[in-house]
Amino acid sequence: MSELHVVFRVASTEYVIPASEVLRMESYEGATPVPGAPPYLAGVVQVRGRFVPVVDLRARFGLPPAPLSIDSRIVVGQSGDRPVALLVDSAREVLHLSPEQLRPPPPMVVEQCAGYVSAVARVGERFVMLIDFRKVIGEEQRDEG
Amino acid sequence: MTSAGDLGDFRTSYLGEVEELLAAANAQLLAIDASLRKGESNVRAVRELFRALHTIKGLSAMVGVEPVVAITHRMESALRATDRANGRLPLPAIDVLLRGVRMVEQHVSAYADDGAPPVTPPGLLDALDALEPGAAPTAVTNEVALDLEPAVAKALAAFELDELARGVREGRRAVRVDFAPSSERAAAGLTITTVREQVGGLGEIVKVVPLSVPATATAPGGIAFALLLLTAASDEALARAAGVGVEAVRPLAAARAPAPEAPAVVDLLEPDPHEQDVHRRGAMRVDVGRLDEAMESLAALIVSRARLGRELAALTARGVDVRDLALALQDDSRRIRDLRSSILRIRMVPVAEALERLRLVVRGLRRASGKLVRLDLDAGQVECDKAVADRVFPAVVHLVRNAVDHAIEAPAERRQRGKPEEASVRVACVARSNTQLELTVSDDGRGVDRERVARRASRPVPEGDAALLHLLCLAGLSTRAEASTTSGRGMGMDIVRRIVVEELGGELLLRTERGAGTTFTLRVPLTLAVVEAFAFECAEQRFLVPLATVDEIVEVDPGRVAYGPSPRSAGARGLVGVMERRGSAIPVVDLDAALGFGARRSPALRALVVRRDGDVIAFAVDRMLGQHEVVVRPLTDPLLKVTGVAGAADLGDGRPTLVLDLVALRVRLGLGPAGSRGVR
Repeated sequence: MSELHVVFRVASTEYVIPASEVLRMESYEGATPVPGAPPYLAGVVQVRGRFVPVVDLRARFGLPPAPLSIDSRIVVGQSGDRPVALLVDSAREVLHLSPEQLRPPPPMVVEQCAGYVSAVARVGERFVMLIDFRKVIGEEQRDEG
Repeated sequence: MTSAGDLGDFRTSYLGEVEELLAAANAQLLAIDASLRKGESNVRAVRELFRALHTIKGLSAMVGVEPVVAITHRMESALRATDRANGRLPLPAIDVLLRGVRMVEQHVSAYADDGAPPVTPPGLLDALDALEPGAAPTAVTNEVALDLEPAVAKALAAFELDELARGVREGRRAVRVDFAPSSERAAAGLTITTVREQVGGLGEIVKVVPLSVPATATAPGGIAFALLLLTAASDEALARAAGVGVEAVRPLAAARAPAPEAPAVVDLLEPDPHEQDVHRRGAMRVDVGRLDEAMESLAALIVSRARLGRELAALTARGVDVRDLALALQDDSRRIRDLRSSILRIRMVPVAEALERLRLVVRGLRRASGKLVRLDLDAGQVECDKAVADRVFPAVVHLVRNAVDHAIEAPAERRQRGKPEEASVRVACVARSNTQLELTVSDDGRGVDRERVARRASRPVPEGDAALLHLLCLAGLSTRAEASTTSGRGMGMDIVRRIVVEELGGELLLRTERGAGTTFTLRVPLTLAVVEAFAFECAEQRFLVPLATVDEIVEVDPGRVAYGPSPRSAGARGLVGVMERRGSAIPVVDLDAALGFGARRSPALRALVVRRDGDVIAFAVDRMLGQHEVVVRPLTDPLLKVTGVAGAADLGDGRPTLVLDLVALRVRLGLGPAGSRGVR
């Protein structure tokens, strides 16, 4: 059984997240910065009447910042009852991925990406990386703060 | 099942009604207690109490909370006996009855939370039985034949059968009224709740038995209710009250002529003509959830109104003539304000009513501690939002408990110090303004021992009451202190502070004098949700700050702000400067820098002055943008929980605007008064 995934791009890499974890995708016109929040937090936006934090994936992944463009998107995902938006360079595509296509990432990749990538998949000529949404939004660190 | 909605509704109204009745029962018990102590009887309070318990019993039987039925039935019997004895209840009986009420409360709250029902201690039931002198429980034989089908008879406890029989013997008719809820009936305003009320007005409902009705060829199955009651009303009147045909009213037994030996018992349920209808007329019970819904719609309305305002400004900027539109919008704003105050008024509860429960607390403490304490309540006509009352009440209980446990001396000691043996704890409440409530809890006890508090906290002895309060509110301190003395329960002062300051955005103050007493002052907003706020700009970002937290807005003359040496700021100017305000020097902080936005480009010309615990600080900002009515929503995501940010609001542009808590921000910056560093 293949599952639908949302594809988005950060810098030159394509990532996927299961569509079932995605609440919605929206164009991005900036967020309200929150002083004192973690550095990878772009700010807070309003999505459907809720105030949702925006995690800047470039910052989270240790990449240099890039200017916003008309392609910039937020992908609003949900972990438990917690909606969190991911700021990405673009998001335009959905893909069906079967479980066989998703392979564990090579150990060196795991190490380098701090566990944010939970699998890689080959789709035709290109590679996409499946991100671990909970880790990316810092779910496992919640109690440490 | 079609009836699920009806039952669900009933459950909500059951909980609401029982809560109210329990409060009334407690109040009446205390009134009886007070009268007895003066050597008087209080027939009226006994009757009120009886009526409350009787209604609780009926309602509980209907939803099937049988342990409550068992307890209240016994309490009722005891009161019947009391009434015959002219309202004289032996003093120890009050305690037993209070225990009974408490047990009922526990059962009801277990029912509300779907939790496991508590076990009623058998000792309590025995003690209640023993209150009725010479009564062998349910001793009267059931000599009246009741025409009951097995399904209904099975649902009746022995005492309920007895009660029906008793009514019949006393000359009333025992009648069964059947009511089947349906969506058509509900649409016509007929639910089991309304029917129970209507029919209950015509007689004494002994039991409401839910019955399941099997589906037939002509009607879908569902649930129906058989109301069993004692009445003098006609079948027609009952049928009308229930909104059913007269065939749905069936006699269970005909009335008998009252037996000659039947005592001329005053019917405890006979309404007192003086007060009948006072409670019912024009008042209704509303589920708080529904009010919240109305409030949310209103919030959305305020946001869209703000958006209209922005559009109007944009049109004006383009040179469009918008005078008529502006007038219409002004009108609109006024109506929204009116609507808002109407909704807020509905949510208001009298503070005095909430405080009444303190009498029960103090009574318990008096008994546990052996101290003589008088509780004076003075809340006048002040009202506040239910949500505020519910939050602040536990804090007040804690302060009262502390006062009795720790502040008030034993009678002998008080005599020695030349104080009256009976100590006084006073809880007062005044509306400080249209938006703020001031509660004070004061005692005439020994006052807070600074040295002892300092020792316990391993800190230097605090100077001044504000610093002492900070020390008392250190997490863990007061709980430890308590565990070593008497109560060892409840929450510490840190929780009181959290409720008042962080949850409600209010203020907590302390005034204490050795040997003379202590006063805690709690200033909390009258309502939550919609607040008046100042909008201002700082580092090109717009922020809000609640009006209530700002002392004043002052002009800043950049040339007259002095910065002292700041060896740790690595070449940059220090964060804190000093400016003059009405003859005294106050600290001024660049809000840009305080928020971590870096040095400002142009000098700040305005500052928001914040005062807390007598400490004043000014936050310099770029410019003020005016005053708004905003709906503040907390930011609950862990990524957004930042000290100094109280929440966010939508000013109509669809973007969140942060609402700052400047007092908390001051603490984050380590600018609190001495001793408060690290306290949140």
